[in-house]
Amino acid sequence: MTEITGLLRRDVLKRLGLVAVAAPGLSLLSACATGGGSEEGGTDVASDGDAKNPFKVDAAKPLNVVIFKGGLGDDYATQVHEPMYVTAFPGVKIEHEGIVEIGKALQPRFSSGTDIPDVVANSGTDLMDTGALAEAGHLQDLTALWDAPSVDDPAKKVRDTIMPGAVEAGLVAGKPYLLPYVSTTYGLWYDAELFKAKGWTPPKTFEEFKTLAETIKAAGLTPFAYAGKNASYYAYWMILISAAKIGGNKVLLDIDNLVDGAWTNPAVEQAAAAWAEINTKYSDKSFEGLIHTEVQTQQNQGKIAFYPSGSWLENEQAPSTPKTFKYGLAPTPSVSSADAMPYEAVRVAAGEYYFVSAKGENPQGGMEYFRQMLSKAGAKGFTEKSGSLTIVNGAAEGLTLSPGLTSVFAAQQAAGQNVVTTSLFENWYKELETELRRQTNNLMYGRNDAKTFCAEMQKAADKAKEDAGADIQTRAS
Amino acid sequence: MRQGRYPFIIGFLAIPVVLYAVFVIGPYVQAFQIALTKWNGYKAPEYVGLKNFRDLFEDEAFTSALWHHLWILITLPLATLVIALFFSFLLNVGGGAGKSGTMRGVRFSGFYKVIFFLPQVLAVAILGVLFQAVYRPNESGMLNGLLAKVGVAPVQFLNDPKLALWSIIGVVVWQGVGFYVVLFSAGMSSIPKDVFEAAAIDGAGRFTLFFRVTLPLLWDTLQVGWIYLGIAAFDMFAIVQVLSVDQGGPDNSTTVVALEIYRQVFRYSELGYASAMGVVLFFMTLTFAALTLRVTRRERIEF
Amino acid sequence: MKTNAETTSTDLPALPADAQPVRKGAASGPGGGKPAAKVASGVFSGLSHVALAVWALLVIVPIVWTFVAAFKTNAEIFGDAWTLPASWHFDAWGRAWSDANIGRYLLNSVFVVTISTFLTMLLGAMAAYVLARYEFRGSKLIYFMFVSGMMFPVFLALVPLFKVVQNLHVHNTYQGLILVYVAYSLPFTVFFLTAFFRTLPTSVAEAAFIDGAGHMRTFFQIMMPMARPGLVSITIFNVIGQWNQYLLPIIIVPADQDKWVLPQAIATISTSAGYRQDWPALMAALSMAIIPVIIVYIIFQRQIQAGLTAGAVK
Repeated sequence: MTEITGLLRRDVLKRLGLVAVAAPGLSLLSACATGGGSEEGGTDVASDGDAKNPFKVDAAKPLNVVIFKGGLGDDYATQVHEPMYVTAFPGVKIEHEGIVEIGKALQPRFSSGTDIPDVVANSGTDLMDTGALAEAGHLQDLTALWDAPSVDDPAKKVRDTIMPGAVEAGLVAGKPYLLPYVSTTYGLWYDAELFKAKGWTPPKTFEEFKTLAETIKAAGLTPFAYAGKNASYYAYWMILISAAKIGGNKVLLDIDNLVDGAWTNPAVEQAAAAWAEINTKYSDKSFEGLIHTEVQTQQNQGKIAFYPSGSWLENEQAPSTPKTFKYGLAPTPSVSSADAMPYEAVRVAAGEYYFVSAKGENPQGGMEYFRQMLSKAGAKGFTEKSGSLTIVNGAAEGLTLSPGLTSVFAAQQAAGQNVVTTSLFENWYKELETELRRQTNNLMYGRNDAKTFCAEMQKAADKAKEDAGADIQTRAS
Repeated sequence: MRQGRYPFIIGFLAIPVVLYAVFVIGPYVQAFQIALTKWNGYKAPEYVGLKNFRDLFEDEAFTSALWHHLWILITLPLATLVIALFFSFLLNVGGGAGKSGTMRGVRFSGFYKVIFFLPQVLAVAILGVLFQAVYRPNESGMLNGLLAKVGVAPVQFLNDPKLALWSIIGVVVWQGVGFYVVLFSAGMSSIPKDVFEAAAIDGAGRFTLFFRVTLPLLWDTLQVGWIYLGIAAFDMFAIVQVLSVDQGGPDNSTTVVALEIYRQVFRYSELGYASAMGVVLFFMTLTFAALTLRVTRRERIEF
Repeated sequence: MKTNAETTSTDLPALPADAQPVRKGAASGPGGGKPAAKVASGVFSGLSHVALAVWALLVIVPIVWTFVAAFKTNAEIFGDAWTLPASWHFDAWGRAWSDANIGRYLLNSVFVVTISTFLTMLLGAMAAYVLARYEFRGSKLIYFMFVSGMMFPVFLALVPLFKVVQNLHVHNTYQGLILVYVAYSLPFTVFFLTAFFRTLPTSVAEAAFIDGAGHMRTFFQIMMPMARPGLVSITIFNVIGQWNQYLLPIIIVPADQDKWVLPQAIATISTSAGYRQDWPALMAALSMAIIPVIIVYIIFQRQIQAGLTAGAVK
């Protein structure tokens, strides 16, 4: 305790400048906090085609990088991307912040227009509303980045070195504001070793699914489970993917575009009914009270057969996965033989959004940081550190891939052109998304039937449309 | 009255009032202004008058939150105070009659008070993690682990819409009881012995003593406790956020106004709408406190 | 050492004059014979102990369970809740200490709460004293202004508050955290202490004035010592409240992890333990957060109870 009293004596006097601090505060009372800066965006950043420094970064300016410290950690930034940036501009200062609750920490900084970070990994359960950020002119238009020469091959533009659809996935109100850096494949995850030992194969249709589930149940496992407490969206992904498989990607486009009756589309109702049947018959109601890591750990312990998730799962679970457990990915089963898409179709989405602040001190630096991230070395390092694949083509070459990522590649090969599109309404209309979480649990745990689910969601979508008014967002593909 | 009165008053009030005006009143006054606007926190707010307040009462989540506050307002103070009274009664007069007919507390009552008060010093963040383990809906939960041993199927404390809110209120009661036990014990021990003795000579039993003597004398303390707990009932934010399924679920069965405000601010960037909710919450709390004080005053006159 | 309880019992105001003795006729007649009463009394005492012991267990068990869980493996934590760990090893504690930096956050919390509680008490007592004992224009308004702060949901003020903190350049600093803690603790402190100062007898202060003591001296040398019971209890309130404050630090010191306080750290650790799958380390971190608080509480429990006593029996 002596240390503290020492501190006290030294600091109290310094910190007690109360009167001096508070007096100027009076004038603040009349100054409204709702200023928030001008609505004009920041600087226009252009690329002059220089392969070394296309955005004319001022190496004397520090770069403030905020990374979401969640499932991917932030080692990829501190140990790969930031050092690359420093190598490109020796002596440059990087201010790194690893934050879990992005919105709580950053939103006040953006709204007050002070201390704005240059690069933000906007992710986690507490991410910021990019629609609102874009509207206020906080997001840097990334057109110049996509058109800049790539780090690995200056003859190629950056946009030509990444997976198709990635630029589009980063559109907000029709402008390329976001960098969706991670390529994620979705489906049902299972323990390939266990299945081999038991002689089980992932089902190709829901009929097979139910038959296999009976067998699995008899073997003493829970056939299917998701975590209702904080990850109900894992379940609605399955419903949406199945809906797209039944009726084609247009079903999901209609939902994103808030088309009248998009949710009452028979394809959505069929998909909802199919998944609700699986969860009410072949799962357990206790899973509604667990968080995702708890359910995932149970799967690692051999208690759960199928778990719906994205390809980050294997890395997230690495610490508690036994050596004998080998992650495998299966596409969602076909609902009927009349489905528009084949069984092999999977959702591959560019996600995990990063943005550069237009009103930050150093947007040029932010763009250059992105260009480094999108180099093969940057992407490879990211995959090594985080266990997730990126949108950068061919970046995983030469890496020894884990069983899970190997099965992801195999699934992508099998799917070919049959890719289920990603859903953008989740980011566009947050209230609609919250309602969907609620209604998904109501459906999956037997409180509502599929018809009610669709009707409730349609009501919420209509409300979203009314609230959005002129700000409604659209996508063509 | 005396010389130097005003310099003294101003000197003593200046710093607290300025500090308070700058950090508390200022922001809140602005919050009232913001409640009349549509504002996403980034660009200039747009004045919409009372529209936010009109929308509020069509907002299903908000109206169910209001109902929850009503239930919490009734059950939380009642449960906490009744349990606390019961225990302080046992602690102070549960030991039977001592020499000369006075009532004694049970042995180890000091130890019990120390233990009971313990939850008060735990932060809500800690409480949340603790009770996740207590309520876990399978045999790895403390409660369901016990139930499993006697062959009862696991109870879905936090994920049955009918149980969830009560389970969460249970945590708040668990935390609060000890505080009021200490408070009431203090009140009881300050009641002069001769009051008890007089009553005992009249042949009053232990329970008569409690209801006829102890309770009326603790009336003031009870009122204070009721106000504290009532104000707490309008908050509940942290505990609901940490413990509930899907933050306020399942199916909005545990949501509270504070959580809806939080959601509007941090998820939907609807700062104006959130402020309107805050204004409603403010007036509800104010009304509650004013009513309670009114009732208190009337009780005092009768009493 | 003399406890507060002994000193305060004499300061207690007398009971309200209208406190009722038992109404005539309400009392039941004498019970059965003496032996029966004794037996009944013994049974009652036994039952009392059972009830009290059950509640004591309800309080202790979850906390002890957490300590024990810090020694378990992930698999054991998700197994039967009522089994002991197969082996008692301290790895998780090491991980919690080194990775989660609990020690640092503890010290931060102690530092911030010590200063801010002291300032809260000083400023709160000054304001409450003036509001309670002096008549002047606007005193009602100032009092109401302070008290109304008790009813306001804090995070409604977040964005404007952040703006203020920014403009004063105390964002991400201890100063900012302390100032905001003090400001937000004032309503309850002023409310409570104003009521308390009103209950103190005026004669002593009058006498002091006649002796020629100034306002300042009267306050610091006479009123403050007299108000000690009230001051102690509200100090306890503030220490507990500020120690457990969760929302304000997230707004004031979001970025600078070196300045984080304990609840903020615990919340973050619990989310990231969720991400990182290290449940034993989470339990160890929780235990480390709980143990010092419990130790301090045990040391000061007499003062805490005495303080509450003083505050309760106004």
